[in-house]
Amino acid sequence: MFSDKIELKDFEKMDPEYRDLLKRVLAIQADCEIGGPHLYVESILPTAPTKLDQLIVARTAAEEIDHYRKIARLAGEIGADVSYVLSRPNQERYVDAFRGEITSWEHFAVFGFLIDRIGRYQLEEFIGCSYAPLERILPDVMREEAGHIDFGTTKTAELAAKGGESKAKVQKALDYWYVKALDMFGRSDSYRSERYRHWGLKRRTNAQAREQYIKEVNPLIEQMGLQIPDPDKGRHYS
Amino acid sequence: MPQAPDTEAMDEHLKDVVQALHGAVNWAMPHLNDPKIVDKAIQDCKEILDVVIEGKASEWLK
Repeated sequence: MFSDKIELKDFEKMDPEYRDLLKRVLAIQADCEIGGPHLYVESILPTAPTKLDQLIVARTAAEEIDHYRKIARLAGEIGADVSYVLSRPNQERYVDAFRGEITSWEHFAVFGFLIDRIGRYQLEEFIGCSYAPLERILPDVMREEAGHIDFGTTKTAELAAKGGESKAKVQKALDYWYVKALDMFGRSDSYRSERYRHWGLKRRTNAQAREQYIKEVNPLIEQMGLQIPDPDKGRHYS
Repeated sequence: MPQAPDTEAMDEHLKDVVQALHGAVNWAMPHLNDPKIVDKAIQDCKEILDVVIEGKASEWLK
């Protein structure tokens, strides 16, 4: 496995496969960062249950836009213009989880609980990665992402604890997002994933990361008194 | 190193956008019991975010 640390000045000297993979992973990451606000700002910012929740939705969107900015800058520095993801329709996003719209507070909460957590897994892949400028932006981005996960987890637990209709709605949202979350790790036999690891741009196989994620979230779901959804129902990748 | 067009300008623009959003949120947070202040901050955030979501990036840099 490639273990050198590459700086911006070295980029042009790198193997074409490395350059292509780095541009690709930055484009996907930028798309996922800006994809969040595109999912929830329109419906959730005006309708969140309290004024505090509304402000937190706005702050969350601001942080995701800032993550997009940081990734877009890294991409721009190596000649990749990712500004096209700012205006692309949700249905054209790289990752299926971002191809819809969030219209309920339950879905917003579970999105934070499950999908922002995937964001953390994606970012963890870059810890110690071969492209040093990418590793350098991680601490602030990961700290803010952890805040989104905590908020989503707390709100999901609160909604479940209310019982009745609230719990039923949050279970439905969980059923919807759980399989999308598992699919976000990609195919277990992905050739591209192997090449990312070969070049030191990722650390884990898709299957390893998915397995760790399941081990992390399933106990949390059970602690909330919710049912762990069928991991195979509606899955695209395994 | 060939840099993508508008990288610097877009970065600066988005920094301003993010700062404006944080400014509005931080201004309102200590005043949660004052609907006038909070509603104004939420409205300001909505207007800023609507422009970002519309995504007409080329117009932002004119």
